[in-house]
Amino acid sequence: MAVIVLVEHTEGNIKKKSFEAVQYAANIAQKTGTGVTAVVLGTVAEAEMTALGQYGAQKVLHVADARLDELHARAYASALMTAIQKEDSKVIVTLHDINGRAVAPRLAVKLKAGLVAGALSYPDMANGFVIKKAVFSGKAFAFVNITSDVKVISVMPNTFPLQSIDGKATIEKLEVTFGDKDFGIKVKEVNKVKGEVSLADAELVVSGGRGMKGPENWGLIEDLAKEMGAATACSRPVADADWRPHHEHVGQTGGTIRPNLYVAVGISGAIQHLAGVNGSKTIVVINKDPEAPFFKAANYGVIGDAMEVLPRLTEAVKRFKETHK
Amino acid sequence: MKILVCISQVPDTSTKIILKDNNTAINNQGTTWIINPYDEWYALIKALELKESGIATEVHLVTVGKADVEPVIRKALALGGDEAIRIDADSTDSYQTASYIADYARSVGYELVLCGKESIDYNNGTTGTMIAELLDADYIGFATHIQTEGNTVIVQREIEGGEETDSCSLPAVVSCQKGVAEARIPNMRGIMAARTRPLKVIIPTEVVAVTTILSYELPPAKAGIRLINPDNMDELVELLHTEAKVI
Amino acid sequence: MNATESVNAIKGGEFLIRDTPAASIFIPEEWNEEQLMIAETCTNFLAQHVVPNLNRIDEQEEGLMPHLMEEAGALGLLSISVPEEYGGFGKDFKTSMLVTEKLGAGNSFSVAFSAHTGIGTLPILYYGTEAQKAKYIPKLASGEWKGAYCLTEPGAGSDANSGKSRARLSEDGKYYLITGQKMWITNAGFADVFTVFAKIDNDENLSAFIVEKGFEGLSLNTEEHKMGIKGSSTRQVFFNDCKVPVENLLSERQNGFKIAVNILNLGRIKLGGATIGASKEIITQSVRYANEREQFGRPISKYGAIRYKLAQQVIRTYASESAIYRASQNMEEATEHMVATGMDEIKAKLKGTEQYAIEAAIIKVDASETLDYVVDEGVQIYGGMGYSAEAPMDRAYRDSRINRIFEGTNEINRMLTVDMMLKRAMKGELDLMGPAQKVAGELMSIPDFNAVDEEGLFVKEKKYIANFKKAVLMVAGSAVQKLMAQLGKEQEVLMNLADMLIELYVSESIQLRVEKLVGMRGEEACKEHLDMMRVYVNDAAEKINKSGKEALNAFAEGDERRMMLMGLRRYTKTEDLNTTQARRNIAAKVISENKYCF
Repeated sequence: MAVIVLVEHTEGNIKKKSFEAVQYAANIAQKTGTGVTAVVLGTVAEAEMTALGQYGAQKVLHVADARLDELHARAYASALMTAIQKEDSKVIVTLHDINGRAVAPRLAVKLKAGLVAGALSYPDMANGFVIKKAVFSGKAFAFVNITSDVKVISVMPNTFPLQSIDGKATIEKLEVTFGDKDFGIKVKEVNKVKGEVSLADAELVVSGGRGMKGPENWGLIEDLAKEMGAATACSRPVADADWRPHHEHVGQTGGTIRPNLYVAVGISGAIQHLAGVNGSKTIVVINKDPEAPFFKAANYGVIGDAMEVLPRLTEAVKRFKETHK
Repeated sequence: MKILVCISQVPDTSTKIILKDNNTAINNQGTTWIINPYDEWYALIKALELKESGIATEVHLVTVGKADVEPVIRKALALGGDEAIRIDADSTDSYQTASYIADYARSVGYELVLCGKESIDYNNGTTGTMIAELLDADYIGFATHIQTEGNTVIVQREIEGGEETDSCSLPAVVSCQKGVAEARIPNMRGIMAARTRPLKVIIPTEVVAVTTILSYELPPAKAGIRLINPDNMDELVELLHTEAKVI
Repeated sequence: MNATESVNAIKGGEFLIRDTPAASIFIPEEWNEEQLMIAETCTNFLAQHVVPNLNRIDEQEEGLMPHLMEEAGALGLLSISVPEEYGGFGKDFKTSMLVTEKLGAGNSFSVAFSAHTGIGTLPILYYGTEAQKAKYIPKLASGEWKGAYCLTEPGAGSDANSGKSRARLSEDGKYYLITGQKMWITNAGFADVFTVFAKIDNDENLSAFIVEKGFEGLSLNTEEHKMGIKGSSTRQVFFNDCKVPVENLLSERQNGFKIAVNILNLGRIKLGGATIGASKEIITQSVRYANEREQFGRPISKYGAIRYKLAQQVIRTYASESAIYRASQNMEEATEHMVATGMDEIKAKLKGTEQYAIEAAIIKVDASETLDYVVDEGVQIYGGMGYSAEAPMDRAYRDSRINRIFEGTNEINRMLTVDMMLKRAMKGELDLMGPAQKVAGELMSIPDFNAVDEEGLFVKEKKYIANFKKAVLMVAGSAVQKLMAQLGKEQEVLMNLADMLIELYVSESIQLRVEKLVGMRGEEACKEHLDMMRVYVNDAAEKINKSGKEALNAFAEGDERRMMLMGLRRYTKTEDLNTTQARRNIAAKVISENKYCF
């Protein structure tokens, strides 16, 4: 009856957000008096897997098939189904990220299970199995009750702070018989942007809007982001004008992000933009227009010209890093 | 090639969410309804492009909803498409929605099903994947570029930290985002043709929902802003470290 | 619509002496799904192509405006009511009004659009031969060619027929050679086709010609530097023995002035539509700013002084809009009726428009002054930012001002309103005399003190409006009697009379609209609409009283004056109304919706 959790890794390193998913599963396991079985797919070192115990996993089922190093959603789903049957699981946890979103819905269909996509709370089991999630791109939250016997939850990354405990997970090999169609998708080419922080996972984000005047000024945004170790983002008009690549566009019709810190530079803060970023824990707004609506949604505000403020802030971060080495 | 485009009706992006009935429902009075932007701007337009270039033979639009969603379907038809199908049901559960669409799609047989990467109301982004599973088809999500070669669809898509190019054989389901196509404005010819394009209504075999929304909540207001002098960025950095504890 | 209805349909100007049933008017709440889609296309077009480029447009970036016109043409927006055989969509007049309204929010683009689709295209469409139409209309409809209209000259503005441009036949009889100078020509910089007015030889009246850009002898002056609508091309066009093939004479010789007048009738109501579209956009921007801008710790939309302005912007816009679509429907129905009785469609269109020329002039004045009010208060709501060239109000304020000047200045249109009314009475088309005498008789009798006993949502306002009509008939009737032929020279009195007619027509239009709307949606859903109607009619009474008093004091004397002033008071008396509360209710609605929402 163990809670099953899908663990993701990049080239053998388990992602931090997967620890969050494991910890989430452990919370449910504790409430339901069961355990946590993590499912690891592909090539991962034993030590990495054992360490999942620190977040509450008792057991790891490892499918050591190198083909699973890349996302093959149907194969992932097959592997998870094997694990679910083996453990007789009623609750399955994945992340609400690109991989999780490709796999969790398949499991939900296979199991005729209700799915909460993008969980923001642990389930409330006092009256059913109720989980909070963002709707209307963050303009509201819904409390969703899963009414089916089996439950699938995809957990919003960067939502549940990690607390490690002492613990080691035991590792068990899992043999999976894959079907003909499990590897139907052929990956022809991969272009990973090296060295930069991926926006969806970033804890710190520096974002620019129309107030940046033009793409030639983006160096100022990039300098600050580099100094802070932050990812860069932009508002819709900026992406529409092709000043920045579209995957940097955050907002209701772009990406929704929930970093610890969102620094918005020269972004007025239209309702559509706020929707995509208002899950950020701390918001800093830099704008020369004191009437910019974004100031109302911010924790810290700087009224001033971005071209002057940004270099100063970058210098200040540099000084801070030197004194806090 | 026959393409099915999944369309969903959502409140206009500028809509303020107002709750009613003790926070158990959304007050939709005065709401302007639009086609989910990802469905319209990318999935639908891509399908139309494939038809215009002679690759697709027919483009059908499908939505799940009661009669009040028809104006939005006709807006979609004004952009193009040979016919629309409204599956007559009220659903906020992805599994239910996907089952209705998959049942219909199976009955016709489409080579390609296109949908937006998610709807901007419930933000699940799960219906497309579920349809693929129900149809026993491959699914490629977050496409930024789509092309077909014979029986194969080649998709550039977003992955964590970059992009990759995938291919799979048809039938397949692909979810679309920015890059796949350029948004269009319906022209007069399309608007006038929308009335004459067939809009079929299908009564589905009921599928039981596996989730229900019990209540809603609005985000708490921010406690209030602290303004920092633009000449004192050290103070800002210090506050981010000691007070906000984010760096 | 059946034939009997149209026989009974209210004639142009007849609103002064006859009541209109609310059910018979068209109200914008009745737009159908297709029309709303067309409107949305216009709004999206502005949002995607025009608004992001407003600065570039105003800098007259080379090729940008013609490119935008082509984009609009590709969407079909340049040919909404052009017949299908010429590449258009053959939509009704109201739909083309709707498009004009929605694109009216597009600042200079709106001017270029209106000039092209109106004065640039319609003279050829309405008066051209089959060959002329086949040659020019499809290209104008698609936007491939852009149109302009050359009527005004340095010495001939409001007095258009006095122009000095001349045309003479070439020796071989194949060409007209036009010589003259035309001024304030909208779209001149990029137009491919010009409709040019000139007198042939020593004719008394103007003739019209279709002139292509490439015809020998046509040249352009540099761009004018203007207060507003900076993005619209405005130049002088010079004709120096410009060679125009004889087959390019438009309509008959000396028929030009009639063309000009008829096209202006249409242009006036269209201008009304465009200004209302701009008004709505300005209100949305005003309310958004008022909701965002905080002073003394609260958004300024919480303050009564700002709420008053927002409410007043809304009331005036809604009222003007009511009049515009009421008259549009009249024009359309009159046209349909004439077509049904066998008249050629284009002739019927011209006749139908001409029939309501009084209403068109009223609308031109009222809607352009509404927009000027709305932008003025928009600047005020924005406060210091309103005066900054970085905020949108600066452009809106400057762009608005031309509307009171072109398509006939508002002064000319006011005079025309009264003049046309009296001429129709003189010709026996309108029986003003009978009703005017009845009012005079009523003045002698014991007043009924306007006690309104009946119950009903609109009883009071209907009674007030009936009284407004009496007030106008009394003052106008007396003015005609006293001043006789001199009236035409007493321009101040004409202005007073025109203002009274305008207030009457717009009051009645908003009353009828709200009455019809309550019938459709019920009273509960129309609370703010009822408030708008009540405030508007209440204020109209004051204005009619003031104008009437001014007029009477100017020409009447002694007991007669006293008696008429008493009558005027009686006819403009209204019961007490808490207009402050009513305006607060209206403002609260737009503030909560954060946009113009009626």
